Amino acid sequence: MNAAEELKNALPNSVVSISFQLDKPLAIIKKEDILKAATIARDMGFVHLSVITGIDYCDRYEVVYNFLSYVRKQNLVLKVILDHNNPVVDSLTSIWKGADWLERETYDLVGIKFSGHPDLKRILLPEGWAGHPLQKDYDMKTEQFVTIGDDGEDIVSTDGSNLLRRKYHGN
Amino acid sequence: METDELILNMGPVHPSTHGVLRFRLRMDGEIIKNCEIVMGYLHRGTEKLGEMKTYLQFIPYTDRLDYISAMPNNYAYVKAVEELAGIEVPQRAEYIRVMIMELNRIVNHIVSIGSLLMDLGAATMIMWGFRERETALQLFEQLCGARMTFNYIKPGGVREDLPEGFIPKLREWMKDMEKRLVDYEQLINDNEIFHMRMKDIGTISAQEAINYGLTGPSLRGSGVDYDMRKIEPYSIYPDIDFKACTRPEGDSYARYIVRIDEIKESLQILRQVIDSMPEGKIVSNAKYGIAPMTGSPSSVMTYFPRIFTPHAGEVYSRIEAPKGELGFYIVSDGTTKPYRVKIRSPSFCNLTAIPKMVQGLRIPDLIAAFGTIDVVLGDVDR
Repeated sequence: MNAAEELKNALPNSVVSISFQLDKPLAIIKKEDILKAATIARDMGFVHLSVITGIDYCDRYEVVYNFLSYVRKQNLVLKVILDHNNPVVDSLTSIWKGADWLERETYDLVGIKFSGHPDLKRILLPEGWAGHPLQKDYDMKTEQFVTIGDDGEDIVSTDGSNLLRRKYHGN
Repeated sequence: METDELILNMGPVHPSTHGVLRFRLRMDGEIIKNCEIVMGYLHRGTEKLGEMKTYLQFIPYTDRLDYISAMPNNYAYVKAVEELAGIEVPQRAEYIRVMIMELNRIVNHIVSIGSLLMDLGAATMIMWGFRERETALQLFEQLCGARMTFNYIKPGGVREDLPEGFIPKLREWMKDMEKRLVDYEQLINDNEIFHMRMKDIGTISAQEAINYGLTGPSLRGSGVDYDMRKIEPYSIYPDIDFKACTRPEGDSYARYIVRIDEIKESLQILRQVIDSMPEGKIVSNAKYGIAPMTGSPSSVMTYFPRIFTPHAGEVYSRIEAPKGELGFYIVSDGTTKPYRVKIRSPSFCNLTAIPKMVQGLRIPDLIAAFGTIDVVLGDVDR
């Protein structure tokens, strides 16, 4: 019995389906039960939260959690499927401190919100940046410029005319 | 006496932050009450770039993540692509890959220890370290023409075979390195000032370290006996005799000692790999996905298609990079470009634990603890 089947036995109502991510057992979880499923996964020995990431599939978002057990030497992948209009899922920061930045990064770049996160703000891009770059409909044409304000805060604007920039010859 | 709390900005441009990283410290006198990390100054959108490049075109971008040890970055990405597309790799290529990755691990640890010592005020070690590193970089240059951004490992094998005289030169370097390592240890290990700066500083317990997602030497320094090369053996590591170096203390000194031990283990691995290096092809010449471009010399041994299409699917593949667990999460939709590339970089995840480590310490201790985490900002900001 692999780890995903074990999880399904423990939580028959929360696991939607089980399959494989290549060779790693994968369980798709109802989005409201992810915290419960992750707690059980941790108690099963999957103590290392390797990665959290989000993927924009245009009609839905998927959030993927990869776990590893150092003792059992096995992997477990959990996945939740979120509505494209309002992607919100519970935060795992209450179980893993390491989830903090991974969730902030997922929010910053993919635009998925994690409810219950203590400080959900952008991490790589400055506050005030328009859009989430890893969304498939992100506007790549509009340039955004970051300058420093009087108090040292980042100011994002689309007007770069007063910045020192290299001018290209010919245009 | 009443004292006010002071907000102190350290960085983004500061010699001890190893790049552009900002610590926002809330100080009570000299004691750090709270440490907030501000990053993103080097964010280049590597993951978005990954969606716009073909599988082969993205390899040079991985060099620029952790530019101190680019070879494992190349390999981690290529390994993910190979798993996704089901590409077999010839045995000789695997041996060459492991050989240069371990060489790169030694280089990485030398730089890490050197810059740690320099942050603490001892400039000797970085001079010594860079002397050995220089010879190693010349070996890399002979191998692939670049000193730091290699673009050497590619799906199906490696780009070029070993140049003439490479192995003897490497052996010479290893002999030299063994002698130098004794010098390093004599210089640093029992130095009293070093002990005072490192012991019981930035301590983190095994349980906390796992909870914060620490990996690599930083986690092994907390006594967790883990190593991806052992837990999920890849490439030729199952055939090689080596051990995962751990220390139980969990302080900065333990993390330093783990790195020194790992240099010895890597030398051990190098010796075994060189001795049993097989002959044969260096690139798999099987054909995957799209047919070769017309007019290309398919009789050439080192042929591998530039454009190929893996099956639709997803993969998360990880390796033990010098800094910790380096993983690539790739989603393919069956076209020539990845649908999504996610980089799980060790520096980013290890940095999470710094605020916890330095709480209640002083600023010089922050520098010491930060040095032992071994962070490269290209890897943090991506």
